[in-house]
Amino acid sequence: MGRSATVKAVASRNPTGGSQTSLREANRARIVESLQRHGHLTQVELAGVTGLSAATVSNIVGELATLGVITTSTTTRSGRRAVEVTLARQSGLVAGLHFSSRHLRVAIADVDRTVVAEHHAPLAHDHKYDRELDRATLLLSDMAESLDTGLSELLAVGMALPVPVDAATGIVATPGLLRGWDGVPVADALGERLQLPAFVDTEANLGGLAEARYGAARGALGAAYLRIGYSIGGGLLIAGSPYHGVHGRAGQIGHVTIDENGPICRCGNRGCLETLAGGPALLDLFREDTRFQRLRDIVLRAEEGDAGARRAIADAGRHIGIAAASLANLFDPELIVVGGELAEAGELLLAPMRHALERAAPAGGSHLPELVQSTLGERAELLGCLALAIDNVAASGRLPASTVTTIDPRRTG
Amino acid sequence: MSPEPMTAVRQALLSVRGVSKSFGAVRALTGVDLDVHSGEVVALVGDNGAGKSTLIKILAGVHRPDTGSIAFDGRPVTINTTTEARDLGIATVYQDLALCDNLDVVANLWLGRELHENGVLQKIAMEQRSWQLLRELNARIPSVRATVSTLSGGQRQTVAIARSLIGEPSVVMLDEPTAALSVAQSAEVLNLIERLRERGLGVVLISHNIADVQAVADRIVVLRLGRNNGEFRAGDTTNEAIIAAITGATDYSRR
Repeated sequence: MGRSATVKAVASRNPTGGSQTSLREANRARIVESLQRHGHLTQVELAGVTGLSAATVSNIVGELATLGVITTSTTTRSGRRAVEVTLARQSGLVAGLHFSSRHLRVAIADVDRTVVAEHHAPLAHDHKYDRELDRATLLLSDMAESLDTGLSELLAVGMALPVPVDAATGIVATPGLLRGWDGVPVADALGERLQLPAFVDTEANLGGLAEARYGAARGALGAAYLRIGYSIGGGLLIAGSPYHGVHGRAGQIGHVTIDENGPICRCGNRGCLETLAGGPALLDLFREDTRFQRLRDIVLRAEEGDAGARRAIADAGRHIGIAAASLANLFDPELIVVGGELAEAGELLLAPMRHALERAAPAGGSHLPELVQSTLGERAELLGCLALAIDNVAASGRLPASTVTTIDPRRTG
Repeated sequence: MSPEPMTAVRQALLSVRGVSKSFGAVRALTGVDLDVHSGEVVALVGDNGAGKSTLIKILAGVHRPDTGSIAFDGRPVTINTTTEARDLGIATVYQDLALCDNLDVVANLWLGRELHENGVLQKIAMEQRSWQLLRELNARIPSVRATVSTLSGGQRQTVAIARSLIGEPSVVMLDEPTAALSVAQSAEVLNLIERLRERGLGVVLISHNIADVQAVADRIVVLRLGRNNGEFRAGDTTNEAIIAAITGATDYSRR
C-alpha cells in the first residue's frame, strides 16, 4: 500500500494526463538522462542503455533534435556509420555541488538550467572539508572534460551544505553539527580550488529555492521547505527567496526542543527534534537488526509493509509535525514542502505530520498550511545550487544574451 | 564503537569462527571471526600483512584454514576449491580483475559460462541479459559491444563486478576495488556497491581508503597482525578510531 500511495501521490501531481503522452514523456526523459550520464552516445548505444527499441529511439531523437534539445552528428562505430547524439547547450556553464550528510551530488548546467552532466557518490558520515572539496574539484574537472571543456569555462559554482552557513563570513553558523567543516570559510576554500566565484548556502534553503522556482512551491507567497534526512533542516521562503536570518541560522527546525529531558543532541542541547526524528535516531531504533543500515532501508521496509519501520516513520512524522505546527504558527506559510531522504516514504510520513499539525493549530484553524511532498525529490537541493550560481552570474551581468525560454523536457521544473 | 562483536537478530549469511592459517613459520591468521549478513557491506581493513587477503582467499577456496569453522546460511561448510566457493554463492573480484582486454563486455561477462542451446551460442540472449544487468546496476558503460581495452579503469571494475554477479551469488568479495581509480571512477564503483547491497547481497570490501570505507560500509572489521582488532558501526565511529585500531594504538584483540 505504501508504494502505491506514493505512486498515486506522484501521479496526482503529474500534469500530463493520457498514458500515451506520459509514456512518451518518460521515454524522452530516459534518453535525456542517459545523455547526461554518458556525455554523448550513438543511437544504437542509446537503445541499449535505455532499453527502448531502436525505432522509438530514432523517433524521439528526431523530435528532440527538432526542438533543439539535442544535436546529432555522423560518426563511425566499429567501421559502420552511426548517428551520435549530444545534448545541445547554451554558452555559459555553471556547476552545483550538494553535500548532504551522507551523499554528494554534482552537476554542470548551462545558464539556461539545462543539466549537461551529473554525478553522485556516497559520503562518509563525518566527511571533512579539505578531502571533499579536493575530490569535488577533481570530479568537476573530469565532468567538464567529458563535455570537451575545462573548469576555466565555468562561470560560477553554487554549493549546499547540511548545516546553516553565515552569509557574511561564509563559515558554518552552528559549530558542532558538521565538525569536519567548522571554522572554514567554505565558499573561499571552494572558489580557490576551482578558481571560480563560489556561493554557499544551507541545503534546506536551496532545496526550498528550487521548489519555489520549479517545484511544489511555485507561486507561493510564503512557504517552508523541510528537509528530513540524516539531519533535519528548514528553509523559509518569502516570495520565492530564502530568508536567512541575521546569522544564517533561520529555519533550524531540527534543533527545536521537543523534550526538555530528552537525549543530548549533537548541538549541545537536549531533546531537539533531531534526537527523536533525525536519521541516526531512527536507525538506532533498529540497532540490533542488520536489515536497517540506511534511512533508505527504513523507507523500503516500510513500503514492503514492515510494521516496525512504518511505526518509526509515523512517530518521526508526529514529532516533526509538532515542530512544523510551531513553525506554522510563527511564520504562517501558505504551504510546507517536505523533502529529503525520509520524504520518499510519502504519506507514511506526511499523514502523521498533517495530523500533528492540525492538532496543534489554534482553535478554528481554517488557514492551516498545505503539507506536500517535494516534487523535485532527491535532486531538489542540487537544482537549488545551480539556481544560486546562475542568479549570481546574472547579478554580475555576465549572463550570455542567448538565454531564451522555450519548453524543454530537460528541465526538471 | 563497541569492541565486542555485535549480536545480530538475523542469522549471518556467512560466518567465520576462529579461523587460523599458517604458511610455514608465518602465522597469517590467528582465531579470526567474521560475519556477513545479506544486504550488508562489511569492510575488512588493516595494514599490509594484516591477513585480509589470506582471509578472503580462504573464503574463495584458494587456501584451506588450519583450524576454525565456516558456516554458510547456518550450515557448516568446507571450501576446498574455488569452484566450491562459487557453487556456494561466494564470488570474488580480485584487484587485477582478470578481464580479457581483447574481448568485448558481453564475452567477458559470460566467459566460461556462455549460454548455449544444442551446441549453439545464444549470443542475443547473452547480450540482452548483459544490458539488463548493467542497467540494473545503473552502470556507466556506453556499449556492451565495446572491447574491454577501450574502457576506463572504473568501467573495467564495473564489468568485473557485473561478471561476478552472473552466477547469482549471495556474497561478493571485492579486493581494493577503488585503488588506482580516478575520483569519478571511484564514485561509480561506490555507487555500484550501494546497488549490490540494495539487491540484498552481502558485500565484503577490502580497502585502504578509509573515507571510501566510511562512505559505503555498514560495519568495519579491523584486522591487525592476523587477529581481529575491533569492529565498528560505520555510522558511530570516526576515522581516527579506525586508524587507531589498524595501527594498534588501541588494542581490542582478545588474546
